Amino acid sequence: MAALLRGVRAGRALRGLSSVVAAPTATTPQCSSLSRGFHRAAPRLQDDFKSDKPPPSSSSTTFHEHYQAHSAEQDNTATASHEGAAAEQASRPNTSYQDQSGEQGEEYETEEQLQARILTAALEFVPLHGWSMEAIASGAETLGLSSASTGMFNNGAGDLVLHFITQCNSQLTEILAEQHKQVQLGQAEPKATADFLRDAVETRLRMYIPYIESWPQAMSILLLPHNIPDSLKHLSTLVDDIWYYAGDRSTDMNWYTKRAALTGIYNTTELVMLQDSSPDFEDTWNFLDNRIQDVVNMASTAKQVQSTGEAVVQGLMGAAFTLKNLTGLNQRR
Amino acid sequence: MSASMRLLVRRAIRLSDTNIQISAAARAAARAAARSSSCRCFSDAAEDRSTHFGFETVPETEKAKRVYKVFENVAQRYDIMNDAMSLGIHRVWKDMLLHAMHPQPGVRLLDVAGGTGDISFRFLEYVRSQQERQRRRAARSMQTPSWQDISNNYSTEDEDGPLESRAVVCDINKEMLKVGKQKADSMGISTGLSWVVGDAEELPFDDDQFDIYTIAFGIRNVTHIDQALREALRVLKPGGRFMCLEFSKVTNPVLARLYDAYSFQMIPVLGEVIAGDWKSYQYLVESIRKFPDQEEFTGMIEDAGFYCVQYRNLTGGVVALHSGFKL
Repeated sequence: MAALLRGVRAGRALRGLSSVVAAPTATTPQCSSLSRGFHRAAPRLQDDFKSDKPPPSSSSTTFHEHYQAHSAEQDNTATASHEGAAAEQASRPNTSYQDQSGEQGEEYETEEQLQARILTAALEFVPLHGWSMEAIASGAETLGLSSASTGMFNNGAGDLVLHFITQCNSQLTEILAEQHKQVQLGQAEPKATADFLRDAVETRLRMYIPYIESWPQAMSILLLPHNIPDSLKHLSTLVDDIWYYAGDRSTDMNWYTKRAALTGIYNTTELVMLQDSSPDFEDTWNFLDNRIQDVVNMASTAKQVQSTGEAVVQGLMGAAFTLKNLTGLNQRR
Repeated sequence: MSASMRLLVRRAIRLSDTNIQISAAARAAARAAARSSSCRCFSDAAEDRSTHFGFETVPETEKAKRVYKVFENVAQRYDIMNDAMSLGIHRVWKDMLLHAMHPQPGVRLLDVAGGTGDISFRFLEYVRSQQERQRRRAARSMQTPSWQDISNNYSTEDEDGPLESRAVVCDINKEMLKVGKQKADSMGISTGLSWVVGDAEELPFDDDQFDIYTIAFGIRNVTHIDQALREALRVLKPGGRFMCLEFSKVTNPVLARLYDAYSFQMIPVLGEVIAGDWKSYQYLVESIRKFPDQEEFTGMIEDAGFYCVQYRNLTGGVVALHSGFKL
């Protein structure tokens, strides 16, 4: 049963590779020889599985190395198709690894992964075509898929923009986590909150610089009614992540006020960035500095007001008590 | 346990199905294996196997012939009957198919059971108007071109050739294709369109040829639907899209009653009055009832090896638009 499972998994990995072979259609006789080579590889693998071998978690890596060794052998037989296969292999390394994760979930993961890869490839065509289906079609074509596969994206350009935003957010989280680790290890100084916020927002907004020409179009796509829930969700997770890594652990009203403040700062800075024409967006970063200072000032002012208020109330209470004493109301008869 | 074994067997079959793409030798064997696994008793004589022709049961070999005769008879009045029976709504359905397709310029379409060419004409119109719009947008953004831009334009005009979209109409019935060709001539469409006689179960094309495969109101007439689906998978390029427009089960019970009454009472009468053929239209209406419903057909498409299979009900389930991708 286990051997059957492993065999099926190997077969599925094969399918990932065999569909790689099917893509270059020009040289069919060479393709078929390559594919026959793959079919031969499968029984060889099965033998490997039966002998004492490393645990299944690394079986995909063994297969991957095996494939690379195998493809080196095939160099003599099929040069053109091998180059195509190697290029495809570089762009599809995930498929064989993902097959480990279990039968039920496997295909859905591969579909979404494929969609993610198409969208990532489409990003490089955005300066040319804008945030549109043409960019996605060009991206699909670089992966060797027909442009008809853009039909998978029901939301069209919205999918592309949301994918880009998700990618930027995860990049930012990685950077912040890395910095946090540095601080934990004592290799870096912890930054003041205002500086931390400023750096985080700047890093995040800098990711838009390559697409700044077409970013207004992307923002308008995000404001479409059916995209608003998703874009708000991404914005809120972004702000939450930044505050978390800034060290905020508040559990009261502060949680909401802090995130609201940062959301306001982020949105306004983004809008300023769209119209900024100064070298390296200096004006934008100055604007960001000022807004963060405003918020910090407001926070300290709020505290002052609160303490002043308390002091005033205490004073009034004291005055009332004294009056009561003077008029004799406090005396006990 | 048995459920997981069944799942594994299903995956193994799909594996054997996808390997069809690679080696021609394995194709016949795989198809035989898949056919035997679909729980049909595999007898030597093909005449022993029977299938439905409307509400009749006929041997499989006979069904293809009888379907051919049906469409041979109705070919001349096919379009008029379509308009009469569906009150013109079939045009909306076909337009919605095109909008869901949203073809990019430069794609190749295979319209199977295309007959009179409705889908292909719409496809060519859509792509050409899109190209027009793109050219107009490009022209608008280049109101004052420099000499460099103008010389670039001259060099890129030759490249427009390969970007030309092409549609191939394939039908098993020569009469329907004849009618379609006449329509094309009268509409003045000549470039980018070809007419091929072929059987959906055995397409006369190489592997990985087409970006989009459509079959509109044709797949219920095919004797072996799974074979047609596998052929569709074969001729599509990787990333290609399979789209099927077909009559399906109406979900709303009130609408279902009305629809049934209309189909069985009105349509054969219309057929007799307009086309002079009651029996063909009786067959047409009965074949709709014999076709699997939306979910079952989605399962069949997935079994053939397509991914991201979805369907959309049009007109409350009277027509369903199924779409799948070869990934």
